[in-house]
Amino acid sequence: MELNLHVKDSPHWKRSPRFFLLIASIAIACLITCQMPSVAFANGSKVLGAQDVKISGKVTDEKGETLPGVSVTLKGTSTGVVTDINGKFSLNVADASLGTLVFTYIGYVTQEVPLKGQTTINVQLQADSKSLNEVVVVGYGTQKKATLTGSISVVKGGDLAKSPQPNVSSSFAGRVPGLIASNGSGEPGYDGSNISIRGLATTGSNSVLIVVDGIPGQIGGLERLDPNDIESVSVLKDASAAVYGNRAANGVILITTKHGKTGKAAISYNFNEGFSSPTRLPKLADAPTYAQILNDISYYDNPAGGFNQAYSADQIQKFRDGSDPINYPNTNWEKLTLKNYALQNQQNVTVAGGSDDVKYYTSVGITSQDGIFKNGATKYNQYNFRANIDATVAKGFKIGLSLQGREEDRKFPTTSAANNFRGIYRGYPTTAAFYPNGLPTVGFDNTNPAVTPTSAGGTTSNPTQTFNGILKASYDIPGVEGLSLDGFFSADKTGVFNKTFNTPYTVYTYNSATNIYTPSTQGGSNGRPYLYESQLNQALITSNIKLNFVRQLGKNNINAFVAYEQSQNTYNFFWAQRNNFPTATTPELSQGGSAPSDATNGGSSSDNNGNYNYNRRSVISRLAYNYDEKYLLEAQFRADGSSLFAQGHQWGYFPSISAGYRISKENWFHDKVKFIDDLKIRASYGVLGDDNIAPYQYINNYTFNNSVVLDNGSGATPQPGIDLTKLANPNITWETAKKTDIGINAVFLKNFTFEGIYFRQVRSNILAYRTSVPGSSGIVNPYDVTKPLVPAENIGKVNSAGFEATLGYNHPGTFSWGVSGNFTYAKSKIIYIDEAPGVLSYQRQTGNPLNTYLLYQATGIFRSQAQLNNTPHVPGAQVGDLIYADVNNDGQITAADQERSKYGNIPQITYGLNLTAAYKNFDLSVLFAGQAEVSQYVLPESGVIGNFYSSWANNAWSPSNPNGSYPKVSDRASSAVSGGLYNSTFWLNDASFLRLKNVQLGYTLSAQMLSRLHIKGLRIFVSGFNLLTFTKVKDYDPEGTNGSGQFGGAQYGSGQFYPQQKIINLGANIKF
Amino acid sequence: MKSIKYITGCLALCVVFMTSCKKDFLSLTSTDKISNASILSDTSLFEAYVINRYIGVKLQDKEDDDTGFGRGFQWALWSSLTDESIYNNNDNTWVIQQGQLAPNNLGDAGTIWARSYRGIRECNYALSVINGLPLSAGHKNKLIGELEFIRAFRYQDLIRNYGGIVLMGDKVTELTDNLQDPSLFNRASITESITYASSQLDDAASRLPVDNSSSWALGRATKGAALALKSRLLLYAASPLYNAGTWQAAAAAAKAVMDLGKYSLFQGGYGQLFLTPNSNEIIFERLFYPVTAAHLPIELDNGPNSYGGYGGNVPLQNMVDAYPMSNGKSITDPASGYDSQNPYVNRDPRFYATILYNGAPYRDNVVQVFLPGGKDSNQGPNPQNASKTGYYLRKFANDAYSITNSSEAGAQPWIYFRYAEILLNYAEAQNEAVGPDASVYQAINAIRQRSSVNMPALSGLSQDDMRTAIRNERRIELAFEEHRFYDVRRWKIAEQTENVPAYGIAVGINAANPSGYSYAQKVALTGRAFQPQHYWLPIPLTEIQASNGQLKQNPFYTN
Repeated sequence: MELNLHVKDSPHWKRSPRFFLLIASIAIACLITCQMPSVAFANGSKVLGAQDVKISGKVTDEKGETLPGVSVTLKGTSTGVVTDINGKFSLNVADASLGTLVFTYIGYVTQEVPLKGQTTINVQLQADSKSLNEVVVVGYGTQKKATLTGSISVVKGGDLAKSPQPNVSSSFAGRVPGLIASNGSGEPGYDGSNISIRGLATTGSNSVLIVVDGIPGQIGGLERLDPNDIESVSVLKDASAAVYGNRAANGVILITTKHGKTGKAAISYNFNEGFSSPTRLPKLADAPTYAQILNDISYYDNPAGGFNQAYSADQIQKFRDGSDPINYPNTNWEKLTLKNYALQNQQNVTVAGGSDDVKYYTSVGITSQDGIFKNGATKYNQYNFRANIDATVAKGFKIGLSLQGREEDRKFPTTSAANNFRGIYRGYPTTAAFYPNGLPTVGFDNTNPAVTPTSAGGTTSNPTQTFNGILKASYDIPGVEGLSLDGFFSADKTGVFNKTFNTPYTVYTYNSATNIYTPSTQGGSNGRPYLYESQLNQALITSNIKLNFVRQLGKNNINAFVAYEQSQNTYNFFWAQRNNFPTATTPELSQGGSAPSDATNGGSSSDNNGNYNYNRRSVISRLAYNYDEKYLLEAQFRADGSSLFAQGHQWGYFPSISAGYRISKENWFHDKVKFIDDLKIRASYGVLGDDNIAPYQYINNYTFNNSVVLDNGSGATPQPGIDLTKLANPNITWETAKKTDIGINAVFLKNFTFEGIYFRQVRSNILAYRTSVPGSSGIVNPYDVTKPLVPAENIGKVNSAGFEATLGYNHPGTFSWGVSGNFTYAKSKIIYIDEAPGVLSYQRQTGNPLNTYLLYQATGIFRSQAQLNNTPHVPGAQVGDLIYADVNNDGQITAADQERSKYGNIPQITYGLNLTAAYKNFDLSVLFAGQAEVSQYVLPESGVIGNFYSSWANNAWSPSNPNGSYPKVSDRASSAVSGGLYNSTFWLNDASFLRLKNVQLGYTLSAQMLSRLHIKGLRIFVSGFNLLTFTKVKDYDPEGTNGSGQFGGAQYGSGQFYPQQKIINLGANIKF
Repeated sequence: MKSIKYITGCLALCVVFMTSCKKDFLSLTSTDKISNASILSDTSLFEAYVINRYIGVKLQDKEDDDTGFGRGFQWALWSSLTDESIYNNNDNTWVIQQGQLAPNNLGDAGTIWARSYRGIRECNYALSVINGLPLSAGHKNKLIGELEFIRAFRYQDLIRNYGGIVLMGDKVTELTDNLQDPSLFNRASITESITYASSQLDDAASRLPVDNSSSWALGRATKGAALALKSRLLLYAASPLYNAGTWQAAAAAAKAVMDLGKYSLFQGGYGQLFLTPNSNEIIFERLFYPVTAAHLPIELDNGPNSYGGYGGNVPLQNMVDAYPMSNGKSITDPASGYDSQNPYVNRDPRFYATILYNGAPYRDNVVQVFLPGGKDSNQGPNPQNASKTGYYLRKFANDAYSITNSSEAGAQPWIYFRYAEILLNYAEAQNEAVGPDASVYQAINAIRQRSSVNMPALSGLSQDDMRTAIRNERRIELAFEEHRFYDVRRWKIAEQTENVPAYGIAVGINAANPSGYSYAQKVALTGRAFQPQHYWLPIPLTEIQASNGQLKQNPFYTN
């Protein structure tokens, strides 16, 4: 970071990524050089002198099949080899009577064989019955999977790295039971997925706490981690998360990065080249169709004007046959503005290894993603490095240092991706993007989406630097066995810089009568460039000290700790703008317009999302006890203090308890139920908290708003003005979640694994904003729902419950394969939400799941005037409009006829199916992910104000298509009787889908061939992301939580966003 | 080994030391918020709070962040809910034009209830604490008058939209209060409501200074503002829909403003009036400032499409037809000289200052709405911005502002009260009270005969003819200034005027006509409708629900 800051301060800041890569590469090259001799001479001899003894042998698996690629090392040295294709190895040692050989192979139990003078050592490795001996990362520690009592799912980093989507958050879908990852955008740099655990459980924030290497809420989060650096991910779904008390209620994702292992340097290089394209784009009406639609709309608006008010049949024919492209173009905006695919590339070099005392893991990665726009300015580049160093300083005293640095370079046109897609979807097909002579047209609504995605109107560059540093130490306290002290100090820092240079550009209007192209200026301001720059700095300092006691006393196992932790989160943001640049060649603040009013600025101690400085203090403890790994008991307790609340309301207390019983450890069970290898029943209960809320709500907030203009005789001047923006709630405090889990884990017939969990959660004291306060009280919330006048109050209550099941099977052998399926059902029920007392019972949210829609029930389309006259209808309804059900049978359609939808925009059912197979040198992994019981409302922005999806355009009711399946077209769908004026079930889609989320097929080249090249391993693979989707939704991708927030509010989307991406990827992994 | 212990000890101590020394670690202070204590002790901060009561909060999309009284220069003008104009881009106005206004379908008329009461509560809070502030008696008196004026303005806005409303007195409702208390929902009668607001204005008038000055800057309410508001309030009260006051009282209230002797009609041109913040005609206005405190750029929002404008609020033929010929005769009068195929010659000069029509000079060009090919028709650029009516709005537009680049725009004042309205109030009330006496003629002819208008003086009219004349004069003079919506209601003529289709003009090319064009009336927006319940706005369904039915809905609405 030091480095980055320097570079950023220099006038050559733009070169920093390359510079930074260079430095990192040099560092890695140094390491490689240091290690190279042992690599180069691994099979050679002359390292230890003439009296070497040659040790050889063969490694097989439990069935006697030879195992190639097993690592064989002499313990405590860097001497080591890998078994060949026949499982054979040989290496030279100084003295065959001393030393121990260590055989390690992924998926098998590591075996140590003392030499004792033998020169031939044949070893049979046992497959690791991993479900039992695996160690799982839990909050503030690790635990054997066998003795877990909480609901914790684990994903290996290697599995996440199989996804060619570089955003880690998009690699979870389908892999973790209970975790919903919903991807709503494929825009490079903003292609993350919204993650929630076991559905929605609160009306407040449902965001999951991310803990990276032990740092809760580490700045930089999860999305942009290099997947190659991730060792494992643990997802805490139940009361086991209570150890993170104040922020744990929505679940916790623990990410552990890779550390070095004893052995000589393992160098690995990953290369991926991907081709991404939208999963689907809506088909849009062509020019003749749209011209006809405009005629239809004009006719509906003014029947007296006839059927050809906008275009004559002759003109429509010209659109169709393309005979007059200058006056009657037929533009397919999607084809014109979007490439067939965009390129993306990921590379990563890892060097890891170490001695018994010092181990290291270092990596450097680079990612680049192009946008899908033709000649687009959108571009994402990422450069990251990581160094995890662990050292034993003295017996019992260890230190660890983790450093991560990352630069995320986002580059965009000055028009947002959502607006560019809005332009594409709305653009008239009857308007050209370019005249035949190449000049750009004005486009539609002063937006030409063939131009706005380019850098013509200027660019935004948005580099973000993140640094994470963690210094850890642990010390075994002498004198008391099992007692140790550890702690860490971590510093996270991020800087988000934004530089938007908005430049004017010229478009043309052609006058066919005069044959003149009239230029006009778009972009910029006042026809001049303007520049906006901003900087957000955020820092998180976390410190922790922890006293541990881990001891086995006979069959009693105790694992306990008590810790103190505190963190300090600070924000600083400022911006400056300069207008009226005399030229577009000087994009610097100092070079802008000269008038005093040309320079503006602002800033605050918060980020753009309303996050302010806050501090936390915590006391954390856990006692885990088990008897013979049979009877399991665990208790956790955390006390959390937060600066978000007033004194007296700052501290929350979060206890949890869990227990398990491994029946299979009982002799009677073991003897009688032979087919079950392991069986555990377990339960957990705990209290967790959530404080994700804006600060200072315990006092009245007054803020300056200088909008009133007065003139005291020396000219009109804006006056300092103050508004009350928040009423105080002095009692504001934690949101509370009480979670209960009952689970069963089993391994049976050796190769089957099963987990079943019933869970329920009672969320109370939900921090919610009252919405039912009568207006006459004067306590009235503004339009901006993020800034209500009322404070958050601990008033809401939501129950949620459901179950998860996972069943897996692994088939070992030459053709090995495995299948694992998971299924989650999670349903929420609102017990209390602030609703006006007069809301009709069947329209209440209370008693329903979260996020349902209140809609009119569309039952058909009026086909005749007689039908219209005889059926209750809304005012203004005409033939061709939707029929709405008269739910309360009062003979008219009023607000009382709306009903709640059954499902909201978060699926109640999610499932995944994971298939793996390996045969000889081939390996295959296939992941399906799906969701069900989910609805999405999308009403496209169509009418005179925008083009139509073909599905609507071709099937709309019209006098010439009286059997059309869609309602008649209108000026604006958003305010039409059959559209946004009466939001109805017609526009609500069943957003269930089954999707081939991820496929990877790999081929590993034979070790023999490679050994001559000093390459230990080479694997090439093809992979894919979002390859196939099965869904009833016709026009857009069903994934994502809403159609788009751009228009019509968050709940009612218009489907305008950068579409989700399908990626096909080629890659290679080389090990040296 | 000892050194290691020492190191460890140090490390541990460091962490503990760092963490424990700050006792107030969990007590942070906001750096961007002002506390109650500051407002209540610092007079300049308190006054900053009072000043912002002139503006209100944004409550729906397509509304200003800092909206003033009424709607002002927002996307869709209030005029686009009347027979003056329609809003080309709809934005929740057609629902009202097409008679679909209902408690759950409020269009852009859904925010008046809540915004007004929020403003009233904010004023009440200031009034409840003002005595504790170290203000001079004289200044405190003015601030009280100012707050009473603002509060009464909020009530007036409620009354003219909803009729009898809930009177809050000086109460400051807190979140901890019982929010189902009947006092929050009991609607006073319309007479009680007007009486209360009127008495508040009397008090405000007695406290406020007559003139703005360096210590009471232009833009703050004066005695004239309070009296003008009272005049409008009592005029409405005497009108048929209200039937809650007398014409005599209304005339006297208008006379009280006239008698201040402070105001006069602007003689610098009718169009220029709306671009000039300092004139003797303006009684109360809202000032704006470019960029940082500007309203929307109306030249862009309403401008013709070929000029880059959005063609937003487009005048109706209904409005155009209301302008008489410059000889004073209505176009329906056969003797007027009106030619429907050359309709824009020799009209009331205010027509040219208000409306852009086919052939109207605008900036360095002329407006062309004719088909085929007119650049401001839907065959021009950005056809979706072409006027549906064949007209564009000229009034308020400042030709010195660029259309497409708005950094200077948005600084015209919004005039809440001007002297012409007071004269029209007086003429109407006096005519109703005693008939067309000399003072009535004097008032209306002053408006008609100001320089730049120069319409023939009225004379020799019956009371009924005078009523008709005053109503049309009011329609023209105050067009697009948020009067027509309320006037047609209080006169109870909305069932006629608002059930007329929204007409526009279809312009063709016809060399045979003297104008070179052919003109035919067309329907610009179908389904225009007005039902009896629409005389008053519906109280939002959410308010009825929040009251659990205690708040009584206006007549004929189904909740």
